[in-house]
Amino acid sequence: MAIEPLHARYPFLGAARRAVDEAGVDLAQVVASEEAVVERGLERVETAVAEREVGDPHRRTRVELLSYPVARVLVSLVDERVLTRACARAEAATAHERFTEEFATTAEYKSTASGRLTLADLLAEFDLTAAVRETPDGYRVEVGAYLDLAADQWGDEWRLVNRALADGEVRVGDDELLELLRQAVRHRVEEGLPLSVPDPVATELDDEVDRIRETLAELELTREIDTVVPELFPPCMKHLLDRVQKGDHLEHHSRFAIASFLTSIGMTTDDIVDLFEVNPGFGEEATRYQVDHIRGKTSPTEYSPPSCATMQSYGDCVNMDDICEDVIDQSHPLNYYEHRLDESDEDDLVDWRESEDAGA
Amino acid sequence: MHEQTRAYLRGRFGDYYRRTGLSPPPDASEREWGYVPWTEGPGETMVRHRSLLDLGELGEFLARERPKHVYFSAGRYDDPGASTMSGKGWRSSDLVFDLDADHLPSVVLGEDSYATMLAKCKDALERLLDFLDDDFGFEDLTVVFSGGRGYHVHVRDETVRGLDSDARREVVDYVRGIGLEFDHLVDEETVDGEAGRVSPATNRYLPAEGGWGARVHERLLELAEAVREQDEETAIETLSAYDDIGERRARAMYNIAGDRFEEIERGNISAHTAFEQVAEQVAAVTVAEENAPIDEPVTTDTNRLIRLPGSLHGGSGLAVVRIERADLDAFDPLVDAVPETFVGHDIAVDVTDPGAVELNGEAFDLDEGVQQLPEYLGVFLMARGRAEKAQE
Repeated sequence: MAIEPLHARYPFLGAARRAVDEAGVDLAQVVASEEAVVERGLERVETAVAEREVGDPHRRTRVELLSYPVARVLVSLVDERVLTRACARAEAATAHERFTEEFATTAEYKSTASGRLTLADLLAEFDLTAAVRETPDGYRVEVGAYLDLAADQWGDEWRLVNRALADGEVRVGDDELLELLRQAVRHRVEEGLPLSVPDPVATELDDEVDRIRETLAELELTREIDTVVPELFPPCMKHLLDRVQKGDHLEHHSRFAIASFLTSIGMTTDDIVDLFEVNPGFGEEATRYQVDHIRGKTSPTEYSPPSCATMQSYGDCVNMDDICEDVIDQSHPLNYYEHRLDESDEDDLVDWRESEDAGA
Repeated sequence: MHEQTRAYLRGRFGDYYRRTGLSPPPDASEREWGYVPWTEGPGETMVRHRSLLDLGELGEFLARERPKHVYFSAGRYDDPGASTMSGKGWRSSDLVFDLDADHLPSVVLGEDSYATMLAKCKDALERLLDFLDDDFGFEDLTVVFSGGRGYHVHVRDETVRGLDSDARREVVDYVRGIGLEFDHLVDEETVDGEAGRVSPATNRYLPAEGGWGARVHERLLELAEAVREQDEETAIETLSAYDDIGERRARAMYNIAGDRFEEIERGNISAHTAFEQVAEQVAAVTVAEENAPIDEPVTTDTNRLIRLPGSLHGGSGLAVVRIERADLDAFDPLVDAVPETFVGHDIAVDVTDPGAVELNGEAFDLDEGVQQLPEYLGVFLMARGRAEKAQE
């Protein structure tokens, strides 16, 4: 199989990988001698972080195609969860843009020209041929496949509970099917990352890896929040904290939400117990246990605080404001808090922990 | 529980296992197994992380160990006997649902009898099965009486085995109606302005084909049908019972139900703003009355241990019974889960917690103290901590 433009446009395809394999490409040699490939690979990653897509394709098909495995190697070497996610999202966004356009024109001209990607090809690529069926009003997607692809979509309209589910199939519109395929691409790109990279390859890419790390640091994508300013909390967390301090009995999911949020912004178990102990009804032992559990001390998992979608589904999302709706797009309470912190003048911020110490 | 009570139960559980053929779940050797032995003291210790290879042939193991409770995992693993979850190598999981009378909003704890709780639980089970059959279209379903306070459903369709915890939470939220947003249930259809009336730019429909939208639609249709049959005054009274529906709006709805009923049949809720207001309230009632209040963590945990069908529940002495769908209507847990082994003879027990008990089709009103009782009843009382074994 020769390397074709199609492979370069959609480098995550099985066929693209086979083309690379069959061309006998040695990655170690590529990174050592083909500067254009490395450069484009780096650009894929940097554009992914900065612009949420992978940038314009290189004019040479071979360079464009090989830059994809190189980008995956770079991501693996940096090995930061945020970067992996950003790249997968960006690769998926670019693929989505390309196949959306391609399908539209294919339908228009009924073109059967080879070198084009059809919807059927893409469904087959992700083993979805049997799971997706065209109907007069869109498509029906088998529920298992739907959940697999829709579970991490933002927005209530994707939630199964709001879908016309009948006889094991979910009705989706044309555009929605393409959104689900975008998710499939995202999963495909993330699959197997981080790769284990042989030392000679890693050494060749030292400079690029450093550059990516710098970019990340500049964008503060890996910044850990370690500031506790309750006034800047999102409305949902303010509300929960109020209730705790008032001595209300919170349901498990609500206690979990506030405790995991506080953990994520850098509070220790002791801090949280202190903050909660305004409320005599909130047993210290229970709080300690739960917070330690969230922290992963007494369980194999470290829990992260629930997203806006989850908060909404449990009725914990209250007093939504403009920041919730417009700025963070109802994504995550932590994004809200981060935004408020960014907006504030750092000197004006009084960390709750400091104020406690001062008062004591 | 006294030593002789424990010894007696353990011995009789052994007799049960020797006499009862027990069919293991599919892929039994890929699953983790666990059990709780009969031990002294109030606490129970589970022995887990066992593979079938560790235990040996299941029937022989049960007859030999005579455990108080027996479980197998919803998950299938490369190495089910590994001592940590990460070491096991997860392959797939059954999708498991648990309905527990303790968690049902309709159950009044301390007031409802055991039989009443189980009957309410069975109603919830019917609602759950509606979702699983009609909405999800699952085909490989096993319905099980838990031997305690509820029912389990094991789904093993290929399509759901690989779902992760988040995807399973979507299934939970679906059957519980959590996160349901009326606006998202509704389909919008752009229509051209019709002459003669202020036409909305879009028509809004409740889909009739499936999902919660169809359930809400059905109830709205029932309401419209009822109202259509009523005289105007009664109909207006009926409709005015909804929030924000005054007489004027109620009258408009009544007229539409009469003149343009087919619009309502099609699910069109744009015929009058009042319809949408009422539909939204009907949606809330639909969720409250039709959701199946399953226990969330059981379904979302892909490594969950579930009670083994065919085994005995050590807290009741009842069998964990796999129920054929055809037999579900007639299934009465307090008769059909009474192990045959314990029927047909009496034993001496010392009742410590007297009162009314219904079991095996009989009603008993028990006094405190030593007495001869049918063995199934004696076992039930002892397992529940309401009696101790007495000298024969």
